[in-house]
Amino acid sequence: MSVGFDNDVRLQVYRHFVDHGEPPTAVQVGQALGVGVEEAGAAFRRLEQDHVLVLSPGTLDIWMAHPLCAVPTGFWVTTARGSWWGTCIWDALGIPAMLDVDGTVETACPDCSEPIELVVEDGALRPVEGVAHFAVRAARWWDNIGFT
Amino acid sequence: MLAFRSEAHVDRWCKARRLPRGAVFSLDQAWQLAHEWYADRMSTDWRRRTPAEAEAVFASIGLTGSFWKLGP
Repeated sequence: MSVGFDNDVRLQVYRHFVDHGEPPTAVQVGQALGVGVEEAGAAFRRLEQDHVLVLSPGTLDIWMAHPLCAVPTGFWVTTARGSWWGTCIWDALGIPAMLDVDGTVETACPDCSEPIELVVEDGALRPVEGVAHFAVRAARWWDNIGFT
Repeated sequence: MLAFRSEAHVDRWCKARRLPRGAVFSLDQAWQLAHEWYADRMSTDWRRRTPAEAEAVFASIGLTGSFWKLGP
């Protein structure tokens, strides 16, 4: 299958995830693109190998289509287009960036558990007290993407 | 990547959990990184950045040094 087909699958995954708040199955992507589940599933696996999608281990279930995450995290993002879990603070902020909309990220300081709310408005982050911490150096991000 | 109330909270949390302290930077830099990284993600012609392109994005918002190196 071609790179073009995999890109069609990628776009279908993102559009479905944005519109429905959860990722599509390989069956749903296959139906949307007029191909069988085997072809859609094979594209899922290629996209995972290329670090475009992350699948739940041993399945075709989409775990992450960065910046979107299929399972609850500590980063809840609300926009006028919908609400999603972000994978981390980078990805949570990436959701309003990707959709070019205003949005709010709700998280909490891991140290003191105090809530932190980040507001993206008119393409900028409203000033807020706090810092970002990245524990894993860039070269190791994909060693264990779930931890990263 | 996590958000903390301050750098002191990062230090306390890393020490309490015996985790190495990684890179600490401003939340505005995190927003800039998010915007640079994801603004084009739903474009039809999106493709993964090369390591050099990714490092250039990091550097453009002041994230430099060995922590942010992807290539050899």
